[in-house]
Amino acid sequence: MLDWEALVREKLAGNSLEGEELREVAEELAGHLEETFAQLRREGLSEEAAAERALSEAKDWRSLRRRIQIARHKEDVMTARVKQVWLPGFLTLFLSLMLLMGIQFIGAKPFVVSPHGWRVMAPMAVIYVPWLLCLLPIGAMGAYLSVRAGASRGGTFVSTLFPVLPYCVFFMVGFPVCVILDDHVAHNVVLSALWVGLIAWVVLPATALLAGAFPVRVLKSRCAASA
Amino acid sequence: MIGTGIKRGTAELAVLSVLEDGPLHGYEMARRIEGQTRGALRFTLASLYPLLYKLEKRGWVRGAWETGATGRRRRCYRLTAQGKKKLTPIRKEWAELFRALRRLTKVSNA
Repeated sequence: MLDWEALVREKLAGNSLEGEELREVAEELAGHLEETFAQLRREGLSEEAAAERALSEAKDWRSLRRRIQIARHKEDVMTARVKQVWLPGFLTLFLSLMLLMGIQFIGAKPFVVSPHGWRVMAPMAVIYVPWLLCLLPIGAMGAYLSVRAGASRGGTFVSTLFPVLPYCVFFMVGFPVCVILDDHVAHNVVLSALWVGLIAWVVLPATALLAGAFPVRVLKSRCAASA
Repeated sequence: MIGTGIKRGTAELAVLSVLEDGPLHGYEMARRIEGQTRGALRFTLASLYPLLYKLEKRGWVRGAWETGATGRRRRCYRLTAQGKKKLTPIRKEWAELFRALRRLTKVSNA
């Protein structure tokens, strides 16, 4: 009498399935093979032929092992993470960058003249404030996509704040390095610029994004609670 | 006999449809599909279980261990509410495809 479970377990060896999960899959597949074998025996096949036919159900064990692994783990990891964090995150980042660029090109370009009569550059606020305001709906959209895909509070938070993460890394890592290496780099970087940069490009945009995301999160939670 | 490519596309519909009638374990499900399609669709171990695990991950079916009269443990799958909801549009899509093919190929009973 064949030990189907031991056989399946051996064939599935090398799979990322472990412990209880491997035992369950092996038991289930072994049950199927055993029933196929019994049916074939009832149909009059010899024990050897029936076992061979039953085993041929798996076709290629290596391929089956890989497909089971993908079905049980990878698809979930890929689709869930991509839908809940990466997709909304990159979309908010892309939109925020495109808007910043768009406002510079097609936004207001006031004609500013100095007391001496020279034309000077418009203040940064002309670009910055509209951009900051646009981050509200962008944050809301990121949160909506993330929550709709079933993201946790943390996932929604990350995807909403995704546009400020590159700036955050720059100001937390790149800027201090520049300050330390001041003698060796061409730019005259001062420490106060770090704080100004952090506030202007990380804290305020993050606040705007979260302000947009917050009502969406609350609304979705209420809908889920009432459903 | 239906080709592998076409069968692969119909697999989800076949499994969800057969589970609509009630919970089944893998072997029973394969037999039922084979019987109801008069052998045109045949699920093997290799084609059935990865699909069942995928559907379970999506939340369309739910598997639970049950002990039968013989004392043998079997994993029975049942359609979830989400699975039932998904079945309707999938059915609609296939019906639309069959109608389109019928118009195109003029094959009756396509």
